[in-house]
Amino acid sequence: MPHEGMVHALQEIHRTLRPSGILIDLRPVEQNWAVEIVTAAEQKTAGWLTDMPLGIADDEAAFRSIAEAESRGWFVKEREEEFSFFYYFDTPSEMKEFMDEEWEDFEKIDDATYLKTRSLWASANADARVRVRVKMLITKWKKIEMRQP
Amino acid sequence: MTLQKDPENSEQKRLLDFADLTDALVLEIGSGEGRLTHKYAGASKRTVGLDPDRDALRVAQADCPADMRSRVAWVCASATNIPFTKETFDRAVLAWSL
Repeated sequence: MPHEGMVHALQEIHRTLRPSGILIDLRPVEQNWAVEIVTAAEQKTAGWLTDMPLGIADDEAAFRSIAEAESRGWFVKEREEEFSFFYYFDTPSEMKEFMDEEWEDFEKIDDATYLKTRSLWASANADARVRVRVKMLITKWKKIEMRQP
Repeated sequence: MTLQKDPENSEQKRLLDFADLTDALVLEIGSGEGRLTHKYAGASKRTVGLDPDRDALRVAQADCPADMRSRVAWVCASATNIPFTKETFDRAVLAWSL
């Protein structure tokens, strides 16, 4: 959604929320997500993904939109935290296939990181899986009442 | 392919920690196939999943757990024109939508 659409959507959310209503904004943030090999006993980082321009632009548009909603006096930030959201795959090739199909415009794995992932996975215990650690941001916004002119 | 998304339920835990949904009317904007909606709607009084993708909403409806169906409604609409009157909802959730 373009920036103007996001701001309009936030205005609509403000309109449909009751006084003192709460908006939760929960989304991934592109920031070189880690590729990890995990077993019951340990976890190892194989490398980091590369953020693609479209994903970075989407993030910038989202941050700009919510900042505009705040500056227009629609919402006030009450709380914000980061946390990890994991995508698990049985094998490195399944992970790569998923990335090529679903994340082509957002995140990319370079050859060196993919080879390292395969190598670590192949030498790990039989229960080894591959996971991508996605950085998530959750923010709590409280609706501000607009004063009548 | 065996893909698991957030088996730790970190997303659900954070959401419920950030927003008390007890007795709340919740609007989720961009609910898609209801992956997250199905995890928290049971804690709300009633939840509306809003998405412009009719096919995704069909999947959301079909996958909705039976014990949750009475308290979840799915609405096909754009976030830029939310088809509800002003001051309807206690909570709004933008999950992977902004």
